[in-house]
Amino acid sequence: MNIAALTANLHVILPEMVLAAFALLVILADMLRQDEEESRLLPLLTLAGILAAMAATAWIWNRPVASYQEGAIADGFALGARTVILVAAGLATLLSMGYLPRINRQMGEYYALVLLATLGMTMMASATDLIVLFLALEIFSLALYILSGYYRKNPRSTEASMKYFLLGAFASSFFVYGAALLYGAAGTTQLREIGNLLASDHGNPNLLWPGIALLLVGFGFKVSLVPFHMWTPDVYQGAPTPVTAFMSAGTKTAAFAAFVRVLMEALPAQQIQWGWALAVLAVLTMTVGNLTALRQLSLKRMLAYSSVANAGYILVALVPGTAQGSKAALFYLLTYAFMNVGALAVVITLEKIDELDALQNRAAGLADRWPLLALAMSIFMLSLSGIPPLAGFFGKFFVFQAAVEGGWTWLAVVGVLNSAISAYYYLRVMVAMYFHEAEEPVQPRRWGGLSLSLALTALATVIIGLYPSLWTGFLSGLGG
Amino acid sequence: MPIEIPIPTVTQVIFLVMALFTAACGLMVVISRNLFHSALFLVGALFGVAAIFVLLEAEFLAVGQVLVYIGAIATLIVFAIMLTRGMMRGRTSPMNHVSGRGALGALVFFVALLAFLKKVPWPEQAQAIPVDESLIAGLGDKFVTTYVVAFEAVGLLLMVALIGAVMLARDR
Repeated sequence: MNIAALTANLHVILPEMVLAAFALLVILADMLRQDEEESRLLPLLTLAGILAAMAATAWIWNRPVASYQEGAIADGFALGARTVILVAAGLATLLSMGYLPRINRQMGEYYALVLLATLGMTMMASATDLIVLFLALEIFSLALYILSGYYRKNPRSTEASMKYFLLGAFASSFFVYGAALLYGAAGTTQLREIGNLLASDHGNPNLLWPGIALLLVGFGFKVSLVPFHMWTPDVYQGAPTPVTAFMSAGTKTAAFAAFVRVLMEALPAQQIQWGWALAVLAVLTMTVGNLTALRQLSLKRMLAYSSVANAGYILVALVPGTAQGSKAALFYLLTYAFMNVGALAVVITLEKIDELDALQNRAAGLADRWPLLALAMSIFMLSLSGIPPLAGFFGKFFVFQAAVEGGWTWLAVVGVLNSAISAYYYLRVMVAMYFHEAEEPVQPRRWGGLSLSLALTALATVIIGLYPSLWTGFLSGLGG
Repeated sequence: MPIEIPIPTVTQVIFLVMALFTAACGLMVVISRNLFHSALFLVGALFGVAAIFVLLEAEFLAVGQVLVYIGAIATLIVFAIMLTRGMMRGRTSPMNHVSGRGALGALVFFVALLAFLKKVPWPEQAQAIPVDESLIAGLGDKFVTTYVVAFEAVGLLLMVALIGAVMLARDR
């Protein structure tokens, strides 16, 4: 056995190794701690792990593109997606700090699972092999099933966990069946080799089409595309809100990154066919997501349907199958991570202590008593509805630009129309905050991590909007 | 014109019997009213898969299947069910009002898949595989070289499952 080959390019999976080490450290620290007070150290240890993984990612960035044992790759696209995931995980940890002690005391497992879920997501974003892709998907899915049921005493949380688990396991079976058929069509699990084989007319098209269709179902479930979105509102609403924040940004980034990689590396020759399938799904997803979000009274359900609609926007960028499109998708995911986690952080401040959700009327009159909080929420809502010069505007701009330049102008038009519909329900929250009288006095919950993450997300949303070129420079797309 | 009935070879007959047995057991796992019976049918289905592995001359996988799935996992499931009183007695119906539509959907899916698979030009003759100890050694070698990322990922997946199980099972 060749040891040198095994250690060559090991740095490609360094962030994953760091995360795994810290997950074990968290468990160990949880076992060794003497009293409840010391459990405050756990989120700090988790944050340290995430920051270390970020540092490792930044360190790899300056090195030439390399892959490790045909399983993982460290190209610009993977590193960008990894960074977005780590940002989401870090923000979610900040949100969990003051949230958890009120609902459950088993914090060691929680933070270990957050780190392991992050690991699964980053691994999925950099996987170049169908087997690794599937395993990474299972790692973070399994962790998220458990995390969404973390609030054991609340039946809604348990329901969310159960629903997510059953539907998720079902969707995973679609994914693995699709991967198996794709393997049958090409005879290899390496994404790039599949692409080479299929482009040179080897392989087996009759296995290819059902394979692609089944993979599409698996990915569609994870990023909540219509018609595979049924679980989204219930799980987003029932899961503890920090978990919802982590899930919405992290899962989307990981699954979309892997989706892009499969499409661009394994199936670029079939773009004409899957392009249309994705376009139809994108139209359905945007429209159904936005129209349903209009009717939601609960903030978390509204954000859940908005997350469905956002998956549709990102899908628009994937349709043309260009490098520009994949870069636009990644940029959108970056902005989405900040604005959506920020919006959910505001929801946390408005929640009653032992409830998992806040109705929209909880936000009424917020601007009078808590102007800064209302300002932050306004930034997130305006950004989500795509109003310049905030981050969300440029996210949408690049996505629609990629669609138009790829020759899908009608799709971009549908996207813009949808964006206009979505403004209604985002701005309704602002109207409630600024123009309605408070029905009951709301005392927002607060702790250091929450305020910090609110400040960070609001600042990032503004800064990305003011200097988008700064960020597009360091992200890179995939494919030719 | 007389219809030509293809005479199956012995291998084909064995395969057909084992495949039908596996599928029937799999179906019973899902529709059985008693969870304990489901677990026993699961053993049957796993055994059927092991038999198909033997038929494909993949003895190592067959042995692994019997040892790991039947010997360890299925036994554990049976024990877990036997130790949980509510589950032993429970005779809940696994069907609900959408089972008809579900069956229809599954049938459509099956037919669609069959239509594709019928058109696949399957190779007439399988590639010859060297049958000796080096096969298993090669498998082990692959696990720690080409597939080392996947191999480690499986370990992490198991850890997530373990932590999750502890969290769910521990007293509130």
